[in-house]
Amino acid sequence: MTMSTAMKHTLSILLQNEAGALVRVAGLFAARGHNIDALSVVATDDPAVSRLTLVVHGDDARLAQILSQTRRLVDVLTVEHTATDEAT
Amino acid sequence: MNAQLTEPKTKPAPAPAGATRHPLAGHALSGAEVVVQVFADEGVEVLFGYSGGAILPVYDAVFRHNATHAGADGREPMPLIVPANEQGAGFMAAGYARASGKVGVAVVTSGPGATNMVTPVRDSMADSIPMVVVCGQVPTGAIGSDAFQEAPISNIMSACAKHVFLVTEPERLEATLRTAFTLARSGRPGPVVVDIPKDVQNAALAFAGEGELPLPGYRARLAAVERGALTDEDCAAFFAALKQARRPLIYAGGGVIAAGAAEALRDFVDAFGLPVTTTLMGLGAFDTTDPLALHMLGMHGTAYANYAVEDCDFLLALGARFDDRVAGLPEAFAPLARFIAQVDIDPAEVGKVKPVQWHHVGPLKRALERLAAYGRAHGVALELGDWHAHVAALKRDHAMNYDRDSALIQPYAVLEEIDRLTGGRAVISTGVGQHQMWAAQYLNFRAPRQWLTSGSMGTMGFGLPAAIGAQFARPDALVIDVDGDASIRMNIGELETVTTYGLPLKVLVLNNVGDGMVRQWQKLFFKGRFMASDKSLHRKDFIKAAEADGFAWARRLERKEDLAATVADFLAFEGPAFLEVMIDPDAGVYPMVGPGASYAQMITGEHIASRSAPVPTDAGPAAMF
Ligand SMILES: Cc1ncc(C[n+]2csc(CCOP(=O)(O)OP(=O)(O)O)c2C)c(N)n1
Ligand SMILES: [Mg+2]
Repeated sequence: MTMSTAMKHTLSILLQNEAGALVRVAGLFAARGHNIDALSVVATDDPAVSRLTLVVHGDDARLAQILSQTRRLVDVLTVEHTATDEAT
Repeated sequence: MNAQLTEPKTKPAPAPAGATRHPLAGHALSGAEVVVQVFADEGVEVLFGYSGGAILPVYDAVFRHNATHAGADGREPMPLIVPANEQGAGFMAAGYARASGKVGVAVVTSGPGATNMVTPVRDSMADSIPMVVVCGQVPTGAIGSDAFQEAPISNIMSACAKHVFLVTEPERLEATLRTAFTLARSGRPGPVVVDIPKDVQNAALAFAGEGELPLPGYRARLAAVERGALTDEDCAAFFAALKQARRPLIYAGGGVIAAGAAEALRDFVDAFGLPVTTTLMGLGAFDTTDPLALHMLGMHGTAYANYAVEDCDFLLALGARFDDRVAGLPEAFAPLARFIAQVDIDPAEVGKVKPVQWHHVGPLKRALERLAAYGRAHGVALELGDWHAHVAALKRDHAMNYDRDSALIQPYAVLEEIDRLTGGRAVISTGVGQHQMWAAQYLNFRAPRQWLTSGSMGTMGFGLPAAIGAQFARPDALVIDVDGDASIRMNIGELETVTTYGLPLKVLVLNNVGDGMVRQWQKLFFKGRFMASDKSLHRKDFIKAAEADGFAWARRLERKEDLAATVADFLAFEGPAFLEVMIDPDAGVYPMVGPGASYAQMITGEHIASRSAPVPTDAGPAAMF
């Protein structure tokens, strides 16, 4: 699935460091038709928590949907939409 | 993502003041015994599963638990019901959960046992059914080595389940298992898979008797949703819009049943008089025999329900998600509704398909009770006489109907006879296809949890094992599997399970010699080329099959004049009974709102009056599903 209105969105996700947690986040985006443009995972001060920074593109409705869907994942602590940029 | 954690990962749940310590707290138990003890503590009264090497320790612990805790009458406290195939066990657990509202539990071995469980897990996820599935796994040290009967269950199930745990640290087993039950039943319910390596099952542990995993993110969001209460302003806005409405309608989904909100819905309707249509999953959420009930809406909904949706000016969606079988063309759905209100437990469903003017995220029962109390306190009285008369006229003028004079047995007539004899009180499960839609349309459902069907996934093979699970949930109820000749083949091995456990359930096969629903689409969209959907050359003798599996009552109905007597005999038989009915192979499912069509384009067929000539849809078959 491709998106016509291509704004780039940066999402910041705090994730509990459980077996398979990263796969579940990446899998959710894939299953809901989002291509992840960029992804980084870093440790936080809390060893039980990692921070994921993820860039996707899409219109506002699709963004709102994927934000809500990400919040349904049990290991996800918080999801923030930190930036919107014109897609190149 | 497997960092070593320094902090303790489990914390005991705060013990309520005066709470008694678990009698086994501090006792030495094996991992397998912990599994069974948590099941017992969670009130599990039946397990469904198939054995295998990687789950043997748990099976042995079940054996010992049952042996040492047998009732005075020798009854096992936690019988383990063995299917023919793990998929059967999964659908039995799901049928049990759907019929009872409790968590269904299945326990299977690693590799093929666990992969056979994928379909029921996905099916339960899609229909929001609470289940806990325990899978054996190869020993921790062998994970990732392509060991015998190893499959990456946590990866596979992650995409299908509400959550998956792979338990690699034995000391977390107890809290993980208890948390699995909490997750399965809380918020929007769903299946939770716990993958337990064999060495973890064999580990020597000290039983704590309490404690769950913290899950701070999930619990915080759940608490926020559960706290969510309607303010006076919310209620005022809702009633301001409702008071303006002349033709308000309730669109109730499976969420009403999952939330235990059927009584609250009844009370809300008694207070304000809104007619109710339900989704396939919502059948039974509102007594279908009520004058204000419009039965099911959507692709194969009643014509009168769909016309009411066309006509309504206010729509209240309760635990319903505007899916494509209801709102195939979202922009054309309820086109005159100036105000759509939505209540759901899942924030992700609000406005997902259709923009709404008012919404509330929270427990449905409380929301309905609050709205009813507010409306009553503020003397809200709606003048709906004209609308009620309109709805009654729709029900009369566009009633379900079929060719009553045909020489062939019409499936609708069989279902009408069953409905007459059961008074809409039986527990019904189904396969998937035309027979499923006919059962939804022609049977009445007086109460929630009587209607068990694979709604979202539409999984053929669901009916028979789901009926078995339901009979365990409701041993005294009349449970009928209304199945198709193709659907029942998918899990026909479970016929034997019915007789092995002496279940008095009734299996009805509406035999149209093939995949009738597929043929209906092939007639409509592929010029009648019945590719792979005709079974007239198949040799199966269902009666012999049922007899071979121990059914003492197994008959084939072929003559219309025998219908009433045979159906009565079938339902009255005390033990397991199997009835195959040779139906008109050309019988269709009407009404039909084609895929991607609007309700205005509904085809009502030859026997149900339409309001207008159907407008052909312009989408080609490639665009349809
Ligand atoms: C597991 C599975 N495979 C394929 C399908 C697609 N499908 C939907 S209905 C249907 C035909 C079902 O035939 P039958 O059970 O005899 O019911 P009928 O429509 O004839 O009443 C098929 C193949 C499905 N829903 N589930
Ligand atoms: Mg058939």
